[in-house]
Amino acid sequence: MKVTTDRFRQTALEELANARTQKFLQILPLRLSARRQEAYGSFSDPEAAHRLGQAIRGEALARLPELLETFERNALANGAKIFWAADSQAANRYIADLARSKGARYVTKGKSMITEELGLNDHLAQCGISAWETDLGEFIAQLLEKPPFHIVGPAINIPVEQIRDIFLEKGVLDQPTLDPVTLGRAARRFLRDKFRDLQMGITGVNIAVAETGTVINVENEGNIRFNKSAPKTLVCVMSLEKVVPTLADALHQLRVLCRSATGQAAGAYISLDSGPKKADETDGPEELHIVILDNGRSAIYQNRHTREALRCIRCGACLNACPVYGKVGGYPYGWAYSGPMGQVLTPALRGLAETGDLIRACTLCHRCKTICPAGIDHPGLLLHYRNKDVQADPLLQGRGADPRERLAHRLFALAGSRYTYWRIFSKVLSRAARLFGKGAMLRGLGPLGRGWFLSRDLPAPAKKSFHERWRQRKD
Amino acid sequence: MPRASLFIPCIVDLVLPGIGESTAALVRHVGHTPVYHREQTCCGLMAFNSGFRDEARTLARHFIQVFEDDATIVSPSGSCVNMVKNRYPELFADEPDWQRRALELAPRVFELSQFLVDHAGVIDLGAHRHATVAYHESCSTLNGLGVSAQPKALLGAVRGTTLVPFKGADVCCGFGGTFANAFPEISTALVAQKVGYFLESGAELLVMCDPGCLLNIQGYLHRHHPGKTAMHLADYLAGGLPGNPGRRP
Ligand code: SF4
Repeated sequence: MKVTTDRFRQTALEELANARTQKFLQILPLRLSARRQEAYGSFSDPEAAHRLGQAIRGEALARLPELLETFERNALANGAKIFWAADSQAANRYIADLARSKGARYVTKGKSMITEELGLNDHLAQCGISAWETDLGEFIAQLLEKPPFHIVGPAINIPVEQIRDIFLEKGVLDQPTLDPVTLGRAARRFLRDKFRDLQMGITGVNIAVAETGTVINVENEGNIRFNKSAPKTLVCVMSLEKVVPTLADALHQLRVLCRSATGQAAGAYISLDSGPKKADETDGPEELHIVILDNGRSAIYQNRHTREALRCIRCGACLNACPVYGKVGGYPYGWAYSGPMGQVLTPALRGLAETGDLIRACTLCHRCKTICPAGIDHPGLLLHYRNKDVQADPLLQGRGADPRERLAHRLFALAGSRYTYWRIFSKVLSRAARLFGKGAMLRGLGPLGRGWFLSRDLPAPAKKSFHERWRQRKD
Repeated sequence: MPRASLFIPCIVDLVLPGIGESTAALVRHVGHTPVYHREQTCCGLMAFNSGFRDEARTLARHFIQVFEDDATIVSPSGSCVNMVKNRYPELFADEPDWQRRALELAPRVFELSQFLVDHAGVIDLGAHRHATVAYHESCSTLNGLGVSAQPKALLGAVRGTTLVPFKGADVCCGFGGTFANAFPEISTALVAQKVGYFLESGAELLVMCDPGCLLNIQGYLHRHHPGKTAMHLADYLAGGLPGNPGRRP
């Protein structure tokens, strides 16, 4: 997929002007938030359940190296094959080589953000192997060559006419129709055909269990289960932070994940796979390959701040809570991960050089932090990134401060470090501001604050500051 | 009388000094003597949020020196209080001595409504004011400090005041400090949404605990809906105190 994290502003403007986007943003995030809220109510103690989920992520990260070793050992004992991929190229190459060696001309895929991070579909296409997305929304987004709009509803914003047209064009549909059920059935028929005689299927992983070597997926359409059971060879791709210590931990994480993502107590399909088909079993893949992706995560892990981003379980609840996402939708974030989730993950994975807007496009309202089942302090992390950006931190590829902005902050801090300076500074500031208007409200400040004045006025500095009023008061 | 030290944010000092006076009046009204250290400047919130931590530390050190001998500190700004209480300790993560001083200071700093209700123990100020009001939950006040019941209780106890339900009360108004200027279109969409809910609510006034949100919402109202007013809680309450009827609009 094309990475456009450096076009946040432009894409956001386009989306603000896009009536369809705006319409769906009035519906989807609010509805999902409400459903989440309701679903959390089904816990006997929602707050405790929330905290337990966060604690599980905390423990998983604290013990990550050890848990990964245990996971590998147990998965191997189950008969799975493990490939440690240092980066996207390594993962893509492994998967493409595997597909070739199995003589697969195409593969099917379950919806997964990690394969979007890899750009796997593009790589496979370059190798002459088609990859079919089998989640309905993802399938539509793929045919249209669009990134996912929302993690839960990747194509929710696409008009039905457009879906009809693309289905006709790609041979999914024979007769034009706008009936959603018929369209859905057409997609299903098309994809069922792909599952027949399937050589290789690819899925992501929601949770990996160290103590049992199990990989878990949760979904609502059954397509992931098809992907996991129909092919001869199954590849499950996971980022290395997905592992939790025990099956009990995994089950609790599923409880909070499903509630946070879709407001369900449990997704319709939860698949737990421990190794490939055993000798006495009739179903399942003959080979199970688990690709464990690093792609910069080990480096992130070394720092106690950025490590926090690895807590994320990709539920998407923060998207629904975010006021900015609620206005611009998923496209501006420009990569596999959108909303606050993307704002904490993408800068850590891709560096600040191309994600500078992502870390600033936040009002620090803290709603994401409040609802995050993984316990991420998004605003805290964004503030950390902003600091590293200003400092031109080499590890995160910070760009350094704009010299004028730095100077302004330096002067301001200098003025604020001494009472006498501050009085002079504030006098000068007030006088200067009052040059731009006589009334109580300013409509502009010349070249300054153009963004502010786009839609707002600003009170002119008071004739007498509080400081002066206090000095002159008579009580 | 116990003393309460006024922490007047720089915006209030320079642009909205009336809020500072209202704060002093309320502090006095609940039996405390307001003290004002003229040496105070800025808490460093803007520098911190913009990533300039060295500069924020300079301001934070000054703040700590000015206020650390006070038993009780009160401020009419949820975001500035949040900065001092919750961000200073982290800002001094590598300077144990300053961090200790920040941690010792933190529990003594109160947002105004917090001070009135939790510290002074007063909900009914004996205020009168005839208005239908909606309460905007400023993000730092709500999510940073966990303050929400206090201002609503104070408003609810004002004779003649009706507090109406407010859809989207806890959705950000799009201020976000420099965000409003850096992402003006997104910020505008958010403040327009907030104002839309306000107009729908039927309230005459929109009341809040943060001068930042106030600049944003009032600035937008002034441009697009003149005649509609947003107001700081301090001004609303102080305006209804006995002997002070409707002192400020
Ligand atoms: S950051 Fe938290 S709320 Fe957002 S997707 Fe990840 S786990 Fe869910």
